[in-house]
Amino acid sequence: MKKIVLPGDIIADKPLRLDHTIVEEGKTCSTVIGMFDEAAGSLIPLEGLWYPQPGEKIVGIVEEAKLNTDVITLNAPYKGLIISKFSETSMVNGDIIEATVKELDKTGTIILVRPRVLYGGKVLAIKPSKVPRLLGKNDTMIRQITDGTKASISVGMNGLVWVKGGNSDLATDAIIRIQEESHVSGLTERIAKMVGSTGQPHQPQPQQQG
Amino acid sequence: MGNSANKPELIIDGRRLDGRTPEQLRQIKITANPIRNAAGSAFIEWGNNKILAAVYGPREALPKHTQDPNRAVIKCRYTMAPFSSLEEHGRPGMNRRAIEISKVTREVFENVILTDLFPGNEISIFIEVLQSDGGTRAAGITCASVALAASGIPMRDMPFAVSVGKASDTLIIDMNKIEDNYSNADMPVAINPRTKEINLLQMDGELTPEEVHRGLEMIQKAGETITKIQREALKAPYEKVNEKYKASI
Repeated sequence: MKKIVLPGDIIADKPLRLDHTIVEEGKTCSTVIGMFDEAAGSLIPLEGLWYPQPGEKIVGIVEEAKLNTDVITLNAPYKGLIISKFSETSMVNGDIIEATVKELDKTGTIILVRPRVLYGGKVLAIKPSKVPRLLGKNDTMIRQITDGTKASISVGMNGLVWVKGGNSDLATDAIIRIQEESHVSGLTERIAKMVGSTGQPHQPQPQQQG
Repeated sequence: MGNSANKPELIIDGRRLDGRTPEQLRQIKITANPIRNAAGSAFIEWGNNKILAAVYGPREALPKHTQDPNRAVIKCRYTMAPFSSLEEHGRPGMNRRAIEISKVTREVFENVILTDLFPGNEISIFIEVLQSDGGTRAAGITCASVALAASGIPMRDMPFAVSVGKASDTLIIDMNKIEDNYSNADMPVAINPRTKEINLLQMDGELTPEEVHRGLEMIQKAGETITKIQREALKAPYEKVNEKYKASI
């Protein structure tokens, strides 16, 4: 049974080790507005911020390209930093890039590695709490959209999404719809209907003997 | 405080000037997220009060000397619009009263927000009173609490605030402008509904210790109604989408 919980709601009478919760007087309380699944024991925030983890992929915009370091805007309470001497990618101010989080240092700066410049296209900003839903289990949801619309999409865990080519307008609509309806079950089927794809990996067609 | 020479009768036959009983709240309506650019926002209509609250952040705290390397700092700004009241409010912006209310509001939320998660950042809370009719600081805290929850900033609890006062030797809850001006006492209180912790307690006028206890009980009881309205406001946008697909599920 899924239900909406709000900050301060007691979700269990025993201490649980769960993200977005605190334990007070032996009881587990939610700290955000989210969907709590009692059977699965999971709390998924409906609104929320991005808490960077090493290894996550991000999409950012180059704010200041300098000789040794490049400062990246991430639409988050943290600044991204690329140390240029470790990367051979050259970038200029305003470039859209894709990179991987290496670490979050104590001053609230994220060290990024393996940058790649994304040319053309457009960037959408969605709520970071909806990114896991946009990707889907084993990336099924995003694969549905790319298959159906033939657009190139790069999803950053910070909530920025880069879209280019194909039917990018339909892809944009689908992404926004996922953000709005992420908490309602049956979303995968609705998106499949919208973009006209099942999201299943393509089965190789048996070649006809001739 | 008004002039006691022309003091009106505030309670006649157990009813107040606007027809309420002493323990009755005004009509409250809250809308979550009316402002698109903010991280979270809320609009409250509490009787004739109309208040807008918006939350921005966590973002880099500027100027840099305000940063705290261990936790986020909370900045709060309560202002009344020049056209908000029947009386002249003079120049827009902060005056002595607004600075005080900003401070007490900030202290309410410093006790509630998990600030240690965002070192070096700031969380800004803006409360703008568009129309006032008494009890705006309580309504502002109630509204800002919804705005913070809507923004997804982690909080220990969702506080509400309401004031209790005394008129004609009767304790009355949620005073409006006239009652506020001519009453014997006014006590705004902000409480965490889960833990019953008091985050704000100010008092103006005279109350006996027994009256303070009884007033706090009245506030706890009224808090159940206010908390329910806050919760419904936050859940409403999600339930609206649910309704749309109810038939198909």
